[in-house]
Amino acid sequence: MIDLNLVIEVLIIIFKVVFVTMVLFSLPMPLTWIERKVAGHMQARLGPWRVGPHGLLQPLADTIKLLLKEDIVPENADKFLFKLAPIISMVPAFAVFVAIPVGDSFKIPFIEKTFTLYISDMNVGILYVLAIGGLSIYGIILGGWASNSKYSLLGGLRSAAQMISYEVALSFAAIGVVMMTNSLSLVDMVRAQDGGFWHWNILYLPVGPVWFAVFFIAALAEINRVPFDLPEDEGTLAAGYHTEYSGMRFSFFMLTEYVAMVTASALAVVMFFGGWNAPIDFRTIEILTPITSVSWIYSCFGLFWFTVKVSFFIYLFMWIRFTLPRYRYDQLMTVGWKILIPICLGAILVTGFMRI
Amino acid sequence: MSGIGDCIIGFVKKALFADFIKGLNITLKYNFSKSITLRYPDDEKWIPHKRWRGLHTLNKDDKGRELCVACELCARACPTNCITVVPMEDDTGKGITDRIAKIWTVDIVRCLFCGYCEDACPTRALRLGRDYELSVIDIKGTFKTKKELLQQKDIPEGVEGGVIAKARFVRTDDGIKVVADLGQTKKRKL
Repeated sequence: MIDLNLVIEVLIIIFKVVFVTMVLFSLPMPLTWIERKVAGHMQARLGPWRVGPHGLLQPLADTIKLLLKEDIVPENADKFLFKLAPIISMVPAFAVFVAIPVGDSFKIPFIEKTFTLYISDMNVGILYVLAIGGLSIYGIILGGWASNSKYSLLGGLRSAAQMISYEVALSFAAIGVVMMTNSLSLVDMVRAQDGGFWHWNILYLPVGPVWFAVFFIAALAEINRVPFDLPEDEGTLAAGYHTEYSGMRFSFFMLTEYVAMVTASALAVVMFFGGWNAPIDFRTIEILTPITSVSWIYSCFGLFWFTVKVSFFIYLFMWIRFTLPRYRYDQLMTVGWKILIPICLGAILVTGFMRI
Repeated sequence: MSGIGDCIIGFVKKALFADFIKGLNITLKYNFSKSITLRYPDDEKWIPHKRWRGLHTLNKDDKGRELCVACELCARACPTNCITVVPMEDDTGKGITDRIAKIWTVDIVRCLFCGYCEDACPTRALRLGRDYELSVIDIKGTFKTKKELLQQKDIPEGVEGGVIAKARFVRTDDGIKVVADLGQTKKRKL
């Protein structure tokens, strides 16, 4: 006899995985539109305007264009790796989302099952995210190598060097958060920041802001965005590692970049800005108790706050992109090794003393 | 001593990302300011100033007689020799005298819109108008003949320029056109 409980359990997990994948696949469409709009308005232009009202159908037109484009594989390319690279870079970007909690758990009405707004609460969540996130660099290196083009290769190599330098600082920032919250699990991290914005890690004075600055700079470098977008420096490298890619394979790389941006924003929110916690703890306000005591309504609130915070960070990434110029390569290395890592070591010492 | 003080202030500013925040402020201001894009040809069209030198127009007087007397001064004044005038006698009252132009063409590909022709014109028949949408599909269309130039222009000479007018993009079998509504204009915000 099949256990009904187990079936429901499995169905819930499948539903969550499918849902998250669908959302992540469709997210780049609005994000490209928003990015181009932000770019336009910051340069006193309009951005996309002509396809649909306010250019809203522009991403759809772009998608159709990318689907219909010729899929070119260069003659001298390593054909197998060339085709494999976009997949290798895309899968880890999606896999990271297994560990990211977007909201608290709640009881589903009628069937009395707990529904968690995260796919898995693993006790090594932060390590998993860093490890899997680090894998997507293979796609970039393989893509750059397999294209058999000097621009792609240089883009891939730059990317590798940059990732190695900044992975250190990023991991240090993760260590700082682990020290502040006493847990490697991302869900526990959010729970530790419960109860108003003064409990958030960013306000864990004096080290919270320092850790956040380190994390944010390292995350910018990890997801290859301005001012650290040297792997795709169009001034010197044509387009970097995806110079030779076209059509759907190119769009896989773009998809990866946007998903990585969402991941970095979500991580910043979970680690420093209290995840799904509201800025003020609504459960302590007595008038609102009848609403907030229902667990699924409270979870919806959590989802709302999480979305708001992540949106802000995505906007911040775009905002920075159209504000700062690109770093020179030696400056990139200086920031990574000579500034961020010493700051990290000092901050670990201070955090350690605070936790005694 | 001030050197050390500046050094400390500089370091604190750097640590608090002061320059970075300044830059972000500027881009944020632009993000929420109005865009200066002219939505041409969908919504808006630029109406040039009166001094604008666009496509030539041949004018008529109040009674509807052609002002041009085919004196060929414009053709002589033209530095690129792009104006061709062939005079003919006509006493039916089409022109203001008994001499009008049989042929009056300008090759706008060669024309450099210097305005010497309108300066040379003794009867103020020839003016450089304010039409600037001069692209054609056929190269023969670059020869503008007297018949076309005598027609009423989209922007009459009396209209005050230097404004943005509401416009409509019209697509017909004859080609495309941007029709400006001169009733609804606004100043350009710079």
